Amino acid sequence: MSYSAKFKDHLAHPRNAGELSDANAVADETNPICGDRLRLSLIVKDDRIEAVRYLAYGCPPTLVCGSVLTELVSGKTVGEARKLTRADLLEEIGGLPSRKHHAAALAIETLNSALQNL
Amino acid sequence: MPARRVYLDNSATTPVDPRVAAAMARAVLENFGNASSVHGFGQQARAAVDRARREVAALVGAKQNEIVFTSGGTEANNLAIRGLCEAAATHGRHIITSSIEHPSVAGVCVSLEKRGWEVTRLPVYQNGIVRVEDVAAALRPETVLITIMMANNEIGTIQPVAEIGALVRERRAAGHRHLWFHTDAVQAAGRLRLNVDELGCDLLTMSAHKLYAPKGIGALYVRRGVRLHGQNVGGHQERERRAGTENVPGIVAFGEAAKLAREEFEARSVHDRALRDRFEAEVERHIPDIVMNGDREQRLGHLSNISFRFIEGEGLLINLDLEGVAVSTGSACSSGTLEPSPVIRALGVNDELARGSIRFSFGKDNAEDEIEYVVEVLVRAVERLRALSPLTLVGHGLHG
Repeated sequence: MSYSAKFKDHLAHPRNAGELSDANAVADETNPICGDRLRLSLIVKDDRIEAVRYLAYGCPPTLVCGSVLTELVSGKTVGEARKLTRADLLEEIGGLPSRKHHAAALAIETLNSALQNL
Repeated sequence: MPARRVYLDNSATTPVDPRVAAAMARAVLENFGNASSVHGFGQQARAAVDRARREVAALVGAKQNEIVFTSGGTEANNLAIRGLCEAAATHGRHIITSSIEHPSVAGVCVSLEKRGWEVTRLPVYQNGIVRVEDVAAALRPETVLITIMMANNEIGTIQPVAEIGALVRERRAAGHRHLWFHTDAVQAAGRLRLNVDELGCDLLTMSAHKLYAPKGIGALYVRRGVRLHGQNVGGHQERERRAGTENVPGIVAFGEAAKLAREEFEARSVHDRALRDRFEAEVERHIPDIVMNGDREQRLGHLSNISFRFIEGEGLLINLDLEGVAVSTGSACSSGTLEPSPVIRALGVNDELARGSIRFSFGKDNAEDEIEYVVEVLVRAVERLRALSPLTLVGHGLHG
């Protein structure tokens, strides 16, 4: 399978990798079928996402979706972040084969779950 | 394109040897005749096919007329298993195989199962090796075929084929006349010294592209007297076993590759093993939390299968590919379903280790200085992926 240049760039140079010790919104979700796992930690201040970090285990699309998601949500308001969909993320990555869409679904689900925990 | 490229996937396929390519090119141009034609052009092609058949037979200690050329290993496995089972169906419908066979063997067994055959799949234990006593215990009066590979394609473990062959002979002598033994030697041919009489097998599969020849050509050794139902019908080629005009250039290439594999056997074995051993020593020195899969002694000398804890194989594979290093992983994630390598799972390891397994396979064209580069790239990639993995934190007791 061939991945886009952007995809490969995020895989080789993950953005915002790690954890925030002073995060006020955290979520850790696992895809029960394939075992892929994504962990997000965010600092939300005055309704705006000031900082975000992620950790991921799983197939390359899961690792890349995490990385791209952190760039997408940085600086957004909670309302704006909540509106993000799987399609938005897929578009930002430049598309994924349909059998890998679950990676984007896991990323959005983890984001929503973190924002709910605020 | 990365600055440097290193090919460490010689178990998937090998680069074509220029000497093989030259022999093939000559055959394409000079031996265009149909080997079944009676005229001089045809006979010239026939002679080239016969020469190649002698070389391929010699690689496994067989007689020339016991070699059937096919389109590759998969077709040879299909012909062996389906062909034998169909011909022997009146004697019984039970097959014994292992749980780590290549899909081209495992898949045929599944398809026969759907048609009413019974299949016993033997375990391989932690070392990735079948036990002869399990084979003996699984035998029934209606068993007609044992199909167990010579060496595994993912972890390289060498199966006790000669011992199983001896068991088959013993049972035959004791009255179990309709029992045959097939071994898939696609990974082993040219990498282990094989002799069909010493192995005691009736059918043995080979593939040329694992031996520095091009794709599209393989062979099945069929011991004299073993009856097979042809799977390709509509022509008399290959002694009625495989209809279709012979792929003369492919066959010639296979013959040349088999000859070189025999002549250079010692040098290639020593070379591949030295690189593999040095690679493993370096990896063990630089990377913690790894598991070497498969028996450390009873395995092919050119192959190393390693599970890297806390990370998944495909991510590592692509990271290595970005730096020009080609390896493979048996795991696949598709349709949201986890499919860790069935071979690694058969060793009894957990899903995480099975998902993190990578196969490095060396070949005659790899050079010593490539090892240093690969280890450097590998260390970096593993560190990067582990830094990203929540499992690293869990594994090191930093998180739940």
